[in-house]
Amino acid sequence: MDANITETPMPQEIKIVSKFLVLDDDQSCRDQIRKFCDENNLIPLKVQADNVMGVLKSNVDLGGILLAENFGSDSSSGLQLAHAIHAARPELPIFLRRESCEYLDDLAPQDQRLFASAFMVGNIVHLRAALDESIFSFAYPNVLVRGISELTTAALESQFINMKSEVEAPYIVRDKLIFGEIFTLIPVENNWCRGYMMLQSEEQSLLELVKFDRTHVSADKADNFRGLNGVLGEITNLVWGAFKNRYSGVASTDRHLSQVPIVINHLHRYISFGSDNPQLCFRYTLTDLAHADASPLVINQKFVFNLNWNPDDFSENETSVEDLVSAGELDLF
Amino acid sequence: MAQILVVDDSATVRNEVGDFLTTSGMSVSFAVDGRDGLAKLKSDPSIKLVVCDINMPNMDGLTMAEKVRSELQNQSVSIIMLTTENSPAMKERGKAAGIKGWIVKPFKGDAVLPTFKKLVGV
Repeated sequence: MDANITETPMPQEIKIVSKFLVLDDDQSCRDQIRKFCDENNLIPLKVQADNVMGVLKSNVDLGGILLAENFGSDSSSGLQLAHAIHAARPELPIFLRRESCEYLDDLAPQDQRLFASAFMVGNIVHLRAALDESIFSFAYPNVLVRGISELTTAALESQFINMKSEVEAPYIVRDKLIFGEIFTLIPVENNWCRGYMMLQSEEQSLLELVKFDRTHVSADKADNFRGLNGVLGEITNLVWGAFKNRYSGVASTDRHLSQVPIVINHLHRYISFGSDNPQLCFRYTLTDLAHADASPLVINQKFVFNLNWNPDDFSENETSVEDLVSAGELDLF
Repeated sequence: MAQILVVDDSATVRNEVGDFLTTSGMSVSFAVDGRDGLAKLKSDPSIKLVVCDINMPNMDGLTMAEKVRSELQNQSVSIIMLTTENSPAMKERGKAAGIKGWIVKPFKGDAVLPTFKKLVGV
């Protein structure tokens, strides 16, 4: 690894997590829900009733919502809130905690469609199956998850100078909201997966790094957003290439390859790939070692395998790890 | 009159490679894709080395390398690919087009500078 960047490595045991809003006033239930979350790789985020919609607006990387039917002021306020959440963020599955039953059949049809499933806290283990269906439905090979983190860190280290890099535990989101202002999108295709990789970041933080000469863009071009675009674009290119080289298997060209429109709504910072497939996310934070007061740069990396996902055919190129080390060296013919 | 032509659609890479080579005492010119690279080579016979990406719009780097030999009839300029690609099939195609070498990105100037200098004769 290059001396330019200080890397915080991913732990040996990779745990893929998912962030959930927990909307529940009952302290004893919350305790049991927290225990369940700990045991099932969920990160619970507690929210007050009067702040739910605000929190929804500020969080772009949620997996879903655990909602008590009686959350808020009265027995039906949970249902009312579910309507508001569903209207604002229909992509987020809502799991309804009920007091007396763990099914939805007694609800009106317009209420039933709001929820992924129902559960009772005394029988919360049954929620696991619903989570597997909605959130952890894609099995990501450990070596793939680790490899993505490694090759992305290598790409970051080649494009930023004197920075400390940290990567959080990978997580699953159902959110379709875009983080930041700068956003790249590139197809990822081979014989075991087809989809897209996105990198998303904030302009102001990147701008500061250009000004402080932490990138390969001239500091005197820091006022031109196209230079910033180029930084994220080149990182995307490096990750895309390394992914392709490391995980062998070229996409077949002798069969029809389907495509679906990708829809972006700029007003709502929303992107749809035509499916509700969960997305595999990584969050990298880069800190300028010489300017402690500078804003850290956060880069969100998301993979959505919306066109094909067949991990049984997954393979890693045996020489790829060595290739990572030898990148940048000249192979003379 | 440039010694080295850097062909890459990424301004970041052009800047990174160009800055390094200029600081190392070489004269550098730039092209933004294969089509532009062919035009620059045609108009500047002083170019001795081309450092070229593969995946670019309008014309990719391997096609450009092939056309340098076939259309421009330029057999003397050295071409080195600087790319994220690393497949044997692509390298074979590059060899057939008469390229001199292959660098898998990212660019690490110190690792390649002596060879670059030898290829441009400084």
